Amino acid sequence: MNTIWSLAKVVVLEMVRRKDFYVLFILTVLLTGTAGSVNLFNDRSIVRYLKEICLLLIWLSSLVMAITCTARQIPMEREQRTIFPLLAKPVTRGQFLLGKFLGCWLAVGMALAVFYFFFGLVSASREQQWPVLNYLQAAWLHWVMLGVVVAFTLLGSIVFAAPSSNGTICFVVSAGILLLGRHLNKVALGLPQPWQSLLYGSYFVIPHLELFDVRELIIHNWELIPWGMVGLATLYAAAYAAAFLLAAIWVFRRRPLN
Amino acid sequence: MEPTVATENLRVEYRSRELGLATKVAVQGLSLTVAPGEVFGFLGPNGAGKTSTMNVLLGFVPPSSGAARIFGVDVREPIARQRIGYLPEQTYYYKFLTAEELLHFYAGIFQIPPAERSARVDQVLKLVELDHARKRQLKTYSKGMQQRAGLAQALINNPDLLILDEPTSGLDPIGRMKVREIIQRLKDEGKTVFFSSHELGEVETICDRVAILHQGELKAEGRVADLVAQHAASLEQVFLKLVGYQPQP
Amino acid sequence: MSSHPLLVFALALAVAFAAGGRLLVEEQALRRETGSVLKHLLGESRRAFALHVFLKADAYFHQGFYPSVFDAPVAPEAKTHLVEATEDNHDHQHNHGHAHNQHRDWLEAFGCHFQPAEHRHLEGLGQAREILPWLRLAAELDPQRVETYTVTAYWLRERLNQVKEAESFLREGLRANPDSYEILFELGRLYAENDRDVPRARIVLELAIEKWLRQEASKVSPDHVSYRQTLGQLAALEERAGNLERALAHYIRIYQVSPNPATVQKRIEELRAKLAAPQKPPP
Repeated sequence: MNTIWSLAKVVVLEMVRRKDFYVLFILTVLLTGTAGSVNLFNDRSIVRYLKEICLLLIWLSSLVMAITCTARQIPMEREQRTIFPLLAKPVTRGQFLLGKFLGCWLAVGMALAVFYFFFGLVSASREQQWPVLNYLQAAWLHWVMLGVVVAFTLLGSIVFAAPSSNGTICFVVSAGILLLGRHLNKVALGLPQPWQSLLYGSYFVIPHLELFDVRELIIHNWELIPWGMVGLATLYAAAYAAAFLLAAIWVFRRRPLN
Repeated sequence: MEPTVATENLRVEYRSRELGLATKVAVQGLSLTVAPGEVFGFLGPNGAGKTSTMNVLLGFVPPSSGAARIFGVDVREPIARQRIGYLPEQTYYYKFLTAEELLHFYAGIFQIPPAERSARVDQVLKLVELDHARKRQLKTYSKGMQQRAGLAQALINNPDLLILDEPTSGLDPIGRMKVREIIQRLKDEGKTVFFSSHELGEVETICDRVAILHQGELKAEGRVADLVAQHAASLEQVFLKLVGYQPQP
Repeated sequence: MSSHPLLVFALALAVAFAAGGRLLVEEQALRRETGSVLKHLLGESRRAFALHVFLKADAYFHQGFYPSVFDAPVAPEAKTHLVEATEDNHDHQHNHGHAHNQHRDWLEAFGCHFQPAEHRHLEGLGQAREILPWLRLAAELDPQRVETYTVTAYWLRERLNQVKEAESFLREGLRANPDSYEILFELGRLYAENDRDVPRARIVLELAIEKWLRQEASKVSPDHVSYRQTLGQLAALEERAGNLERALAHYIRIYQVSPNPATVQKRIEELRAKLAAPQKPPP
């Protein structure tokens, strides 16, 4: 575990020293600020549209960060050959991958904490209330979802040659699931066989990332999600992340390093 | 006494797309041993199989057949690498880390206790004369400094076996001298050093035994003095003869 | 050329300034002609976006609980609940497809915990303000969509007590749609009910009738609903102001197009009775 933790720390340090997060955060702040400065019928207390815009920017930024950070890990280690002195140490390939996963996941988690804190400030500035537990739930579910995204991007980085193609594919898949995942069953029911069974089967197989998108609940101040459901969702995400990581380790063990 | 490094009929094959999935044999039937406390030179022209052999010893590539052991442990076990230090030919380290951070990172990998870690990092940085630049990121280092940082990470776990791939490559004469001094000091401490080099003069000076590889096969192995006496020639001439080099008339 | 580098530089600078100036003039002309940045960016597809944004306002009215395009299809002529709420006789017969407790599979049942799953409206004091940004954007995207102005004005005026803003927005709508009798009706209603400015309300409502007659009267299926609403508003206005004869004239016109003539007839007779009754001398 110490080995995995050491590897993770290096990934976090790399993220902190790169400019990606700062650029995305500043962009989020600027765009949210611009949206908030619009005069809407001289009413300064309108807040939900601002929360929606801010959360959309946070989701886009976090997806971009998670995917780009993860997609470049293995290819960059290979290209810059830093993987050799590392694997010359008592580190297994599995530990190496787990360390990368943990590092990327922790790094986006830290970024999410900053983003959600900013979001809390934005909404509190107009609503004069701060539903901390609701925001914590949303942030937790968001982070857990990104764990799944990091895991399958890591698998993709071993399967696909170029980080750019892996990144594009992962982004399209994530966006597709987030937008359409919950509707696949409805579409399937309208199709003839065998397409209906195929699509319905895919509906059950894909990781339903949209389950973790609770923006509507936050924007419209709905009640807390039952903690049991949050726990189950966490387990659901953990299962998918574990499956993707196991697949990644299995493939990585069989690939030559150079 | 058990050898530090031992290979038995080691064979390494590569399948290459460029070769139309034909097999290239990089190493065949290599059997050699390195005794504890030796400085062992691993020589051969480009493409002889030196890097492939090292890749097997370091666990990067599995042997196609045969066996390789370090301290009696099969090289495929990660624990075999607990007591070795590796210095690659090129400086392959995380450029965004400082030398201090890099060494702390590798010390963590070796599970050196935190209490001991800082002292060990300080000691190694002083040894390679990078103490003054420890807080600077590696991307700001010159080639010589990066090579020294590489040597530092190879020594961080106080290894009993050092595997060095062209350790003086790209260094100026002073840098090369410093590396030789470090190798000599390690030998005096009873460490085993296994290194490949093209600098035959250097090898002749510091190595106890050498092995000469050509086209994946072991051509000669033994003490430098014995080889020189046997062939009545300098090490360079012995090398050229064994690899089949014919000088132009 | 190379022997006179300054000349070349000066020439290049002059060309650059001339081109820049020309582009600036053309851009300003285009802006005057076509209006906002969104029109430049999106072209005619902005109208599709405008509809989507208008529905977004309806979704906000329902606090996020809203059918997707994959749910049971809605008839094109069906009104959003935002619009229905502005009508006097609306009935909350909302139907958002299958009920929230009917799930096709366990995944859908599990997923309902993570999204709005109950039919709610923005009912609390002032909460309706949250729909305004989307209505504003819808108007920006498609200024020719009259319904956006009338619905927004209703919510501003009736639910949020922002009468000045409602008037300003309606006037903005009128600038984009100078022949819109619907917007004129809303404006007239505002003057009548909120400002109590009878002369102004009368002028605007009569203009609305005039425009309706010009646009709708010759159609096979004219918009009688708007016509009746406007006449009804005029009639009520005149009755409150004590101009019973004028009110009577308007009710007679309503009678001609009403789906409930009996009700209107009753109103006409009441007015006639009032007119026929002797005027009481002042005390």
